[in-house]
Amino acid sequence: MSDRATLDRAEVRQLFLEYLDAPELDRARLRERLVDQYIGLVEFLARRFRNRGEPLEDLVQVGTIGLLKAIERFDLEREVEFSTYATPTIVGELKRHFRDKGWAVRVPRRLQELHLELAKIVSTLGQELGRSPTVAEIAKAAGTSEENVLEGLEIAQAYNFTSLDAPIDSDDAGSTSFADQLGSEDDQLLNLEYRAALAPEMAKLPERERRILYLRFFKGMTQSEIADKLGISQMHVSRLLNRTLMRLREALEV
Amino acid sequence: MSSAQRSSRTGNESTADQSISIKIPASPEYIQVLRLVAAGLAARLSFTLEDIEDLKIAVDELSAYITGAHGRSGTLAVDFTLHDDRIEIKGTGKYAEGYDVRTDLTEFSRMILETVTDSADLNASDGLPVFSIVKSKSSG
Repeated sequence: MSDRATLDRAEVRQLFLEYLDAPELDRARLRERLVDQYIGLVEFLARRFRNRGEPLEDLVQVGTIGLLKAIERFDLEREVEFSTYATPTIVGELKRHFRDKGWAVRVPRRLQELHLELAKIVSTLGQELGRSPTVAEIAKAAGTSEENVLEGLEIAQAYNFTSLDAPIDSDDAGSTSFADQLGSEDDQLLNLEYRAALAPEMAKLPERERRILYLRFFKGMTQSEIADKLGISQMHVSRLLNRTLMRLREALEV
Repeated sequence: MSSAQRSSRTGNESTADQSISIKIPASPEYIQVLRLVAAGLAARLSFTLEDIEDLKIAVDELSAYITGAHGRSGTLAVDFTLHDDRIEIKGTGKYAEGYDVRTDLTEFSRMILETVTDSADLNASDGLPVFSIVKSKSSG
């Protein structure tokens, strides 16, 4: 991920052991070494937020706070790579940054309401019709224009409405190892020519996202079927799916 | 949402073989424009919400090959052709400078596209990457 990440797994472990045992005076120095080791990861993650009008340098600083938190909380007993553990914490810090700045609140207030209403209508109509509704049907039920509906649906992809979303990258999302989470279903995900590149990225996905991916593309279930199965709305499935695919695309540099 | 209901339809129900072209900078941040256009046109054909979501995923997936993750100097020209029961989309990347653009879909991309479209592909034509998508209205 970065040419600065030069230590192998065992060396990182050793560094952490030293850090945890170190007297207060040495801790700062060792912490700095750990930060150096993983600053590439922070930069990589910060770049994912680069199109939101904040200088990358600021985002790296915010992400570094997340990295420091992760270093403080990391438990060597957990059989998980530090980078796996730290990623959700760093991303969480970046998201919080945008949220706290009011960036995600100010713009979509109206859209958030529209989105909430649309989600309700889509689900009700879906049940009435026994199929996914058309945009015209949704617009009629919502008493709004088709353009508004389309906008509401599309904007929902770009914004992360925290009130609707259970935390995707909660702080402890990385606390379980990939191996622990691997069900038999996932074996098939890995059974691809592409697995060498794909598997590590899949491993970083929260369990629910990985499951949605699997059900949609490997099992061929519709978004509504997946929504029923997981007890969330179809629009939520759509948003998670879009976001996951975008994340994989970025990570894999297709 | 107090705005008056207004249909985007013109009253002309036949959309047979009408086409719309749009050209965007070959940068990922403009792919959203293509998503919106695709969704708007599919809505005209009375696609269901799920079909529209699928179409947007296909547009995203293939456009990403043309723009790359960080954008390329050049354009992505996309033609949308409307038929009574399906939409066809063709996108061509044109670059100001030479890029090593991959035109072989990854296995994963292929799998995604098979799920969300009738057919979709990416090829090189005269050295330019060209993608195509066909998506029909679902009968259900």
